[in-house]
Amino acid sequence: MRSLLPENEAMIDPYQVLGVSKKSDQEDIKKSFRKLAKKYHPDLNPGNKEAEKKFKDVSHAFDLIGTPEARAKFDRGDFEEAPFGQGGPRPSYYDTQHEGGRYSYSFGEDFGAEDFFEGLFGRARGRPGDFPGEDVHYKMEVDFREAALGGEKVITLPDGKNLKVKIPAGIESGKKLRFKGLGGPGRMRGGAGDAYIEIIVRPLEGFTRHGLDIESELPVSFLEAIIGEEVEVQTIDGSVLLKIPPGVSTGTKLRVKGKGAGAEGNRGNHIVVLKIVMPKHIDPALKTMAETMKGQFDYNPRMS
Amino acid sequence: MENHLHRKIDEASEYCGVPGEVIIYFIEQEWVRPIDFVTPILDEEDVARVRLIWDLRQNFGVNDESIPIILNLIDQLNLMHLSLKKFRIH
Repeated sequence: MRSLLPENEAMIDPYQVLGVSKKSDQEDIKKSFRKLAKKYHPDLNPGNKEAEKKFKDVSHAFDLIGTPEARAKFDRGDFEEAPFGQGGPRPSYYDTQHEGGRYSYSFGEDFGAEDFFEGLFGRARGRPGDFPGEDVHYKMEVDFREAALGGEKVITLPDGKNLKVKIPAGIESGKKLRFKGLGGPGRMRGGAGDAYIEIIVRPLEGFTRHGLDIESELPVSFLEAIIGEEVEVQTIDGSVLLKIPPGVSTGTKLRVKGKGAGAEGNRGNHIVVLKIVMPKHIDPALKTMAETMKGQFDYNPRMS
Repeated sequence: MENHLHRKIDEASEYCGVPGEVIIYFIEQEWVRPIDFVTPILDEEDVARVRLIWDLRQNFGVNDESIPIILNLIDQLNLMHLSLKKFRIH
């Protein structure tokens, strides 16, 4: 049998690790794995290194004999050196959160758990003067184009610190960026608070954002709508030529691919909404011509 | 914990052994909110959360309706731990 682990580590027997026999059926193996996984899962045993190791062993063992195919391979001794599937050296969810993670903090923002603790322990039982810093909130305006395509801005905080803010491509108004530890200073042993920067996207006349798509209206003459035409359209990348097919109506949407918001390679589209505009003054000759045409080409647009 | 590693869905899938379409489903359910929600790109926190949800559904028999409740409780607990640490009496 080939070694399951690097040479300097002991070989493990997945049957033994999972507490099953070679005669056990797949259902028993699965049951045993689930039982052990629940017992040793790192998120149920936060900070317990021994449980973490056991969980990895159990997961690794299950990778090897958890399915009939893998088990058959293992029993034949014909298995690949396992790329750690379930039991790999990844941090557990708890590992990513216990020193403060986005998910735990987002919970805190919603429910004010920190305030709750401050009320409960901070003043009543904490060391006098031992307070964490306040979170501070700022607003930052960014151009429509910058919000769509991303960018970088340096802002100066009231304490004189310069902060480089990376604006993610496709960000929308109201979204907050968090900068850990850049809020108010803590007193005594309390850590600094966090800085939150709310993004306000400045509107750009004629353009609206819908997720990653950018929409603009394009007036066309009724003649262009009938005949079709290639016209210039403004996008955030500059002007592009757009082919209008014959027979379009007001409200017809045409797509300019990849000219919307988002990071390069994943950009949304620019959507052009057509609006048929009649001439401001109807020339009598045009009216006469229309009357002639009506006889030959009339249709009822109110009937589908 | 500092998060240096950022992965696209296919890379995250390979890294944590959870199929890409399942990760997309988790994102659609808003159980996972990628650090870069546009591309999307997942950081270490996102991937660990994906893996946790996968364990809950796949190995612990938790149904989809219970997932957000469990995640919420776990986040709540982690925050409580953190807050307790901050306010620990020295």
